[in-house]
Amino acid sequence: MLRIAQGRVYDPANGIDGEVRDVCLDGGKVVEEVPSDARRLDARGMVVMPGGVDIHSHIAGPAVNAARKLAPEEHRADVVDRTAVTRSGTGGTVPSTFATGYRYALLGYTTVVDAATPPLAARHALAELRDTPIVDAAFLVLMGNNLSLFELIREAAPDSTGRVAEAVAWWLEATGGYGVKLVNPGGVEMWKHGNRNVTSLDDEVEGLGVTPRRVLSTIATAVDELGLPHPVHVHCNNLGVAGNWRTTMDTLDTLEGRRAHLAHLQFHAYGGSPGKRPRSRAPELAEHLDTHPEHSADVGQVMFGPATTMTADAPVSALLRDITGGKWVNADVEAETGCGIVPFAYQERNYVHALQWGIGLELFLLSRDPWRVVLSTDHPNGASFLSYPRLIRLLMDREFRNEEIARANKKAIGRTVLRDNLAREYTLGEIAIVTRAGPARLLGLAHKGHLGVGADADVTVYSENADREEMFSRPRYVIKGGELIVEDGELRAAPAGDLLRVSIDFDQEIERTLEPLFEERYSVQFSNYPVREPWLLEPARRVRARRGGSER
Amino acid sequence: MADRAATCAGCGCGCDDIEVAVGAEALERVTGTCPLGDAWFAERTADPPPAARVDGREVDVAEAVDVAAAILSEARFPLVCGLTATDCEGQRAAVALAEAIGAVIDPVGPTDAGAAAAAAQAFGLSTATFGDVRDRAEVAVAWRADPATTHPRLLPRLRLDRAGRAAGAHPARTLVVIDAERTETAEEADVFIALPPERDFEALWALRALVRDIPIDRDPTAGLPLDAFGELAGRLRACSYGAMLYGSGLAATADGYVNVLGLLALVRDLAVTAHVVALPLRGDGNARGAEDVLAWQTGYPSAVSFARGHPRAQPGEFSAVDVLERGDADAALIVGFDALGQLPPRAADHVRRIPTIVVGPGATETAAVARVAFGTAASGVYREATVHRMDGVPVPLQAPLTSSRAGDRDVLAAIAARIAGEEGS
Repeated sequence: MLRIAQGRVYDPANGIDGEVRDVCLDGGKVVEEVPSDARRLDARGMVVMPGGVDIHSHIAGPAVNAARKLAPEEHRADVVDRTAVTRSGTGGTVPSTFATGYRYALLGYTTVVDAATPPLAARHALAELRDTPIVDAAFLVLMGNNLSLFELIREAAPDSTGRVAEAVAWWLEATGGYGVKLVNPGGVEMWKHGNRNVTSLDDEVEGLGVTPRRVLSTIATAVDELGLPHPVHVHCNNLGVAGNWRTTMDTLDTLEGRRAHLAHLQFHAYGGSPGKRPRSRAPELAEHLDTHPEHSADVGQVMFGPATTMTADAPVSALLRDITGGKWVNADVEAETGCGIVPFAYQERNYVHALQWGIGLELFLLSRDPWRVVLSTDHPNGASFLSYPRLIRLLMDREFRNEEIARANKKAIGRTVLRDNLAREYTLGEIAIVTRAGPARLLGLAHKGHLGVGADADVTVYSENADREEMFSRPRYVIKGGELIVEDGELRAAPAGDLLRVSIDFDQEIERTLEPLFEERYSVQFSNYPVREPWLLEPARRVRARRGGSER
Repeated sequence: MADRAATCAGCGCGCDDIEVAVGAEALERVTGTCPLGDAWFAERTADPPPAARVDGREVDVAEAVDVAAAILSEARFPLVCGLTATDCEGQRAAVALAEAIGAVIDPVGPTDAGAAAAAAQAFGLSTATFGDVRDRAEVAVAWRADPATTHPRLLPRLRLDRAGRAAGAHPARTLVVIDAERTETAEEADVFIALPPERDFEALWALRALVRDIPIDRDPTAGLPLDAFGELAGRLRACSYGAMLYGSGLAATADGYVNVLGLLALVRDLAVTAHVVALPLRGDGNARGAEDVLAWQTGYPSAVSFARGHPRAQPGEFSAVDVLERGDADAALIVGFDALGQLPPRAADHVRRIPTIVVGPGATETAAVARVAFGTAASGVYREATVHRMDGVPVPLQAPLTSSRAGDRDVLAAIAARIAGEEGS
């Protein structure tokens, strides 16, 4: 039992915006009251928020691990010592598993979604998550280049999802996944056809009888039919290409009336023409989101400094490889997806990098509904999650932002609305929305991202500090599941987090359809594909899908 | 007697289509295996060594755990090695224990390909899982690799044997073998290119030039089959999808590191025009898992020292063989590895001089002379577990039989718990 006493509470999901009050915790949950002799944390003069929720990050699985192997020099420079309560590890842009859990917790984050797990590697991702302490974690399953799903999509009658919804449900159950991710639908498959790609939603995926549009539309509809807590999570086609905002708009128009979340929107908001200098089209995309409540996005902010680009969108990595000339990993995952990795550094003097940085800020500053345009750096693609405090300062502190703008490539800034000395400063309440309440709501995690009675007792307490970067870098207290984890920047305990996975009723007969498709396409046995091992799947918390609109 | 599905981890292929007939506390029949797989199942079901021995004397597991914990706690330079034949669960426990005692930990097995991993770490690589190679590759090159012998089911599984090529998605697909002499794999190939031993680096560099249309100075390439290479370069450039298979024949030599760099550089050059992937062949059943588990827990795939309370990696300095050959280690925990039979002589000699703890299911020479030896329940027969195939795909190992014995992971965790308890008291 714990009473967090007299802090200034920001709990936007419950309409609380800086009210001084107590937050009471018992049995891992927020409760109405605890006895007066319960342990008390004096939070006077401090800011109290729900634990942070990262809607889009890359923290576990074969791609992340391949990136770790590529970066010994980063690890050497950034070590994490073993203590009485923690394992050791290494940091850099792609930290080891233990370090990842600790550092998220030290930042006040208690829930993290890994946004790209190849289903064939689910066991690997799950094993890494078991070694990622403290945070509750979920993962999204890559389905945008899945040959068996392509077959079912092709067979489905127009305007029908056929067997696709059952298959999607089966895949989520087979892997322990939480939601559905589409990455460059069709394009990653084409990458395996002599390094090609798709460039529009109507390009045929060679020999497979589907187009990106058909894949997007069918799977988005299937996700809605299944009533998954999180809508389809889309990494659009043409990432990083000048002029790609048209593809992004086309994607949004295709998904009109259906729920959809666009990943790292900044990377998809470029005007201009392919091969030429990109321009910003952030205002148009922000405008679309304002008028389409069924759609949401995370920003995918770029921050100047080192990053590691890591994506299932393997053709994009080949472009980056040709820019850096440095290390490059490509890893084709049979019948499902691909993977590309290129260590990268964003430089403020570079036109393109400064434009990317500016576009991210534009998306934050122009969007009127923070509930649907939420914070991410697409860790570690745009920057490490460790740069969130600096990003928060950019949003909250206009003077600081203008100093930073003055340092960035002037031509690039001149192409954005940032040149207009935007007045907007995010409030603490808005920060609480884009870093916890909003992501939790978009994920359909009813127990996360707020401090109402019955919510998970995940709470972060910050000391007030006019320097918002400083303030958000070092929470005074972090409580996870009711347990005090962080005190003054030190880890006091490091319990395991839970796996968050979805639970769906579906027709098991779908296995009869899938088994023959598997035998043609996979090098593992169908019977060995679903994860059943309790040490990988337990403990887990299930979030029920509301199929056909029925309540849980 | 019932037939049950099983997975073989006798090499890095991780064949998960094996069937076993289960009789009274024994496997009556194993089907679908190759000779390596037969040997793997036979070893794991043979009369097991005692569950625990100290100085050759059978003892309770708890007593052996006490002795092992004492040895490791007192050691100033403990080494944890082996690991490539145990499961990922055992590897996770081994890294945790190594960290707790400030040890050096390094995967080492009979067909170690450390140079291949180090080159990939320095340069990156383009690779693929088996299914994409099987279904997409129009050209496959086995470079000083003889999978027909070292991984007997690999060629059929990738449909790269003669029958498989004829039946595959690309009936015109080609298998090219480059080696010193005609191997069993060469017998399956369309093209065999004879390459004298120790000329791999020059050959790979010449191929890079041919692929990029860079004129070759003929002198340094004297004796290389340039005409055949010219044809191969053309084939690789023209294909839509190609695969290069290589393993210890290329990597486990004095020039192994630069050889593998050369091959990876060639694959990268080819990536400009064709989709070509490299498939490193791994001999040990879970060598890839050892590399993966170490990387996710520490950031490094091999040769890690916890002596300073955090991971540091330095191949050479902290490689198991070097640590033993220099005589640095004053105690060794050897997991699933017959060190005496398979390490180089000087390293093996040092293993004989220091107190050793052996954990594993088999009756090995190393276990017979160890201070402490645990005979564990073999995963894949008695314990469920996970291994990573050499292409990185995790596959489950089943447990068709039951055993009251502890698995590798349990013994390692028990030793770690015993040490933690002592520290606490």
